[in-house]
Amino acid sequence: MSIIRYEQTQGKSLGFYALIAGLGAFVLAALGSVYFMEHNGHYVTGMSNRIVWGLPHVFALFLIVAASGALNIASIASVFNKKIYKPLSRLSGLVALALLAGGLMVLVLDLGRPDRLIIAMTEYNFESIFAWNIILYNGFFLIVGIYLWMMFERRMNKYSRKVGIAAFTWRLILTTGTGSIFGFLVARQAYDAVIMAPMFVVMSFAFGLAFFVLVLMASYKWTERALGDAIVNRLSNLLGVFVASVLYFVAVYHLGNLYLAENSGVENFILMDGGIYTQLFWYGQIILGGLLPLALLYSPATKGNRSMLGLASVLVILGGIAQLYVIIIGGQAYPMELFPGKEILVGYGGIAAYTPTLPELMLGLGGMAVALIVITYLIKFLPFLPESLADDVADPHHKS
Amino acid sequence: MSRLLIVLLSAMLSITAAHADHHIPNLGEKANEFKDDGKKAHKREGMSHAASLIMQRKMHPELLSHKRDKTLRQGVRGGYTQLQKCVDCHTSVDKNGEHIPVNAPDQFCSTCHEKVGVSLDCFSCHRTTPAEDM
Amino acid sequence: MKELNRREFIKNTTVATASVATVASGISLTTFAADPKESDPVTNEKRWGMLIDANKLSEVDIDDMVNACQEEQGWGGEVHSTGDQKSGWIKKVKVRDTATQRVSNLALMCQHCEEPPCVDVCPTNASMKREDGIVLVDKHRCIGCRYCMMACPYDARSFVHEDLTDQKEHMPRGKGTVESCTMCVHKVDKGEQPACAQAVSSDAVIFGDLLDPTSNIHQTLKNVQSTQIRADLNLNTGVRYSGI
Repeated sequence: MSIIRYEQTQGKSLGFYALIAGLGAFVLAALGSVYFMEHNGHYVTGMSNRIVWGLPHVFALFLIVAASGALNIASIASVFNKKIYKPLSRLSGLVALALLAGGLMVLVLDLGRPDRLIIAMTEYNFESIFAWNIILYNGFFLIVGIYLWMMFERRMNKYSRKVGIAAFTWRLILTTGTGSIFGFLVARQAYDAVIMAPMFVVMSFAFGLAFFVLVLMASYKWTERALGDAIVNRLSNLLGVFVASVLYFVAVYHLGNLYLAENSGVENFILMDGGIYTQLFWYGQIILGGLLPLALLYSPATKGNRSMLGLASVLVILGGIAQLYVIIIGGQAYPMELFPGKEILVGYGGIAAYTPTLPELMLGLGGMAVALIVITYLIKFLPFLPESLADDVADPHHKS
Repeated sequence: MSRLLIVLLSAMLSITAAHADHHIPNLGEKANEFKDDGKKAHKREGMSHAASLIMQRKMHPELLSHKRDKTLRQGVRGGYTQLQKCVDCHTSVDKNGEHIPVNAPDQFCSTCHEKVGVSLDCFSCHRTTPAEDM
Repeated sequence: MKELNRREFIKNTTVATASVATVASGISLTTFAADPKESDPVTNEKRWGMLIDANKLSEVDIDDMVNACQEEQGWGGEVHSTGDQKSGWIKKVKVRDTATQRVSNLALMCQHCEEPPCVDVCPTNASMKREDGIVLVDKHRCIGCRYCMMACPYDARSFVHEDLTDQKEHMPRGKGTVESCTMCVHKVDKGEQPACAQAVSSDAVIFGDLLDPTSNIHQTLKNVQSTQIRADLNLNTGVRYSGI
């Protein structure tokens, strides 16, 4: 294996500025939406006292979950010592930070009082999973930042494995924490399950890798750098394994819930007669986001085809958003069991209605755009990308 | 570069100079009556009236936020410092006899707060005029 | 001005700090000329609670309770909010037993749990429980994240979806923060009953100190079959029901 040389992207082409301008438009639209929502109040959104977390939270949690997953490539290289992933470590750390920044932006800007964010940093309730998550997110920025420094600075390279292990541990805790936001809500039938936390970890593997693959392929194609099959095929296989694991966890989660008679109502709702949620579950999450990508990644006709890998990654992302929509909004739409053994005639109950509005969607997409802008800009200013990932450079076992 | 710095510094200086003038805020209806009657508002024991007023002016955010936590979180009621008492005395009345919100432009709170550029968050929740039955 | 040496500098700053401290402590020490007395902090020697008897409570009674609450606290007049966006501190609930078909009516509001899930999850300590068991939102700290609303098993909390004016003097409410039944804490602290309890003339709603052996509510709970909503969650609610 030859020495890997990292180099900034040029970032002077028309394409670069067009990309920045396009993403910038999304960010501006998001900021406009925030002003609209915060100025008027949340009545302009589809959210209500029954659906308290809406589309912005779907995007925010997707990005946060994907962020910790995107760090996996670096972890595989440093923690599990797989040399072929080593050249990708820097980009992996960057994508992780960028996705987290985008997700947190969405989460914070949807608060009822975003102007009081400082209180969330000064008043901690250590019994709150949410407060722990604030610490975990800030810590993630710090630890991944240090990790990147260790990787960039030649003198510090020798510490990068240790910091990598720390970062890997931290990200596992972080995603467990994100999953636990829901897992500890005892009152809601859809959420009260310990499996939520590990399921979120596996989801993060799949979503983060899908995002990473897209960023990697796009940046190498647009900067006309060599990207060999050795790396791409490995990432493709890895994505397949992660997508299959998500399907497995989803199956265990729902089977486990069906086994408990008290949760059969919400299971029927999601799986059978929940209207939009049932459709999103089967068509969006399972078929589009699970089975179809698996077919694209493994069937002999499409295996090894980069466009198909790109399509599979896009589908995994769309399926992931559908999955979080079903979990977050479907889980709230189904009423809580206030009086077991009784039917509520008046005053509460029924499936809560939710129609997402344009500002909510724009805020969510703005978070994604922020993540992509951060990546696009930083690879221009710092050498994140190896100048070549051709097979003879990247693959330690390459035989020409 | 240094020229830029000078421009910046003089701009900042002129801002502080503009703020240094002693503008007397619109005290509000009852507070004015109180003053005209020669009564000594905010007078503290062991302190001259002037000193008490300065103390009130400078420390009102601390006094209010200290009391608000005691009231809300520990149920300590009564006492001198109560936001609704501020509102009762320091609101003005328009020509129709209606109370003007105490945080409206040119009213008691906003005169100073706007001048020093400090945001005022009490009235995003608290009532800005005396209660109807007053 | 002469140069300060290190020793002098420390001496001077100490003096300065000390004088600041004097001023600062002076605030709590100096009293106002005519200082009205402050009440003592509430303690856990009391625990406020309510017993609602669905057998004695008519549907009209429940409407009266809801109206009294709106009147007292000033919610329900939201202009822009629609449907589930409107505030609902207390609501009328009608339930039918699926096995026996028996119908009961009750008023549902914040249950003032001893172990409130909303307080556990609040990241900023805005959701809080007073020593005497009343669960409140400290709106000075609420950032509007709505996690408490996700956690509440009783759908008792509302988020203010729009700008408000003309709030009640004793009940600040504002856009972007969460609110719920306060058990009329401003009245209870004056020794009065909550507005909803006052609105019902019969003894269908009893308010009082759960810990006081001589109180009506303590005596009644001792003698009458009563239940907590979602008792399986072990939250030990302050609001109890009988006849459901």
